[in-house]
Amino acid sequence: MSLTFIRSAAGAALLAVLAAGCGTAATAQHAATKPAAAAQPRHSAPAHAPVTTPTPPPATTAPAPATKAPASSANPIPQGNGGDQDPDNNGGPSDGDGNI
Amino acid sequence: MTAHTSLRGRHVLAVLASVAAIAAAVAAFTLSGGSPGRAFPALVPAAAPAGWPHLTLPDGTAVLSYPPSLRPVSGDADSVSAAQVSPKGVFRLYLNATPRQGDEQLRGWAAFRLRLLTADDAASAHELAAAQDVAFRGGTGSCVIDTYVTRIGAHHYQELACLVQGRTSASVIVAAAPAATWAQASPLLLRAVAAYQIR
Repeated sequence: MSLTFIRSAAGAALLAVLAAGCGTAATAQHAATKPAAAAQPRHSAPAHAPVTTPTPPPATTAPAPATKAPASSANPIPQGNGGDQDPDNNGGPSDGDGNI
Repeated sequence: MTAHTSLRGRHVLAVLASVAAIAAAVAAFTLSGGSPGRAFPALVPAAAPAGWPHLTLPDGTAVLSYPPSLRPVSGDADSVSAAQVSPKGVFRLYLNATPRQGDEQLRGWAAFRLRLLTADDAASAHELAAAQDVAFRGGTGSCVIDTYVTRIGAHHYQELACLVQGRTSASVIVAAAPAATWAQASPLLLRAVAAYQIR
């Protein structure tokens, strides 16, 4: 086998490794930014129901500022058992109320 | 001359191999990064299994069936809830049904639910999947699967929340569990949601 061929093969292998490395790095970065990505449309249709395209969230995924809250949340139920005895006002799962 | 031709052929083969390797790597990246979502689970409306208790909304507009391993828990006066709670008070499984109270609409339900979560009791909330025109017993609904972290206790829950429109009423059914155990909890919770009966 000629030296030139060995060089070519080595170059090809190097390119492949670099390409795979880029893919892995980009995937890892994607996973690291999953909270933002999780809110992007990424649904597959169920067998019986069409899938919606979710509305993109606010630019930040931190607690929503009051200015972006819906009208019904203008007076949220106080936490720490301030509003009622609901579990969701004490760190439990959220119920289905309309926050009114 | 023959040797030169052979050498050139090997060069071409090497280049083709590198191109194929790069294409494979790019394809792998595209597939892994381009399909992070999870499918919305199939919800097939069906009566609850025999032996499951029922809770009827105080206004009589819907019936929540729940597994026998859950117990009714207190909540808003116009709602019904059942949960499996650990001796230390940790919610393992949670079901709630509440009549439509505010601006909930089938269209845009997922966004509404996430806004409500973060406006009320969640420090953060993220949608995982959503679906419209989901069949329920007595109606149709819009559903969202999301995760959120509570402001109090920083508990990480995952939920399936559906706004269900019946013939004469609308209500919300919520099925939740700690996010860490959602995979184990969801079959039972989805069974309860599929058994939800609205009028």
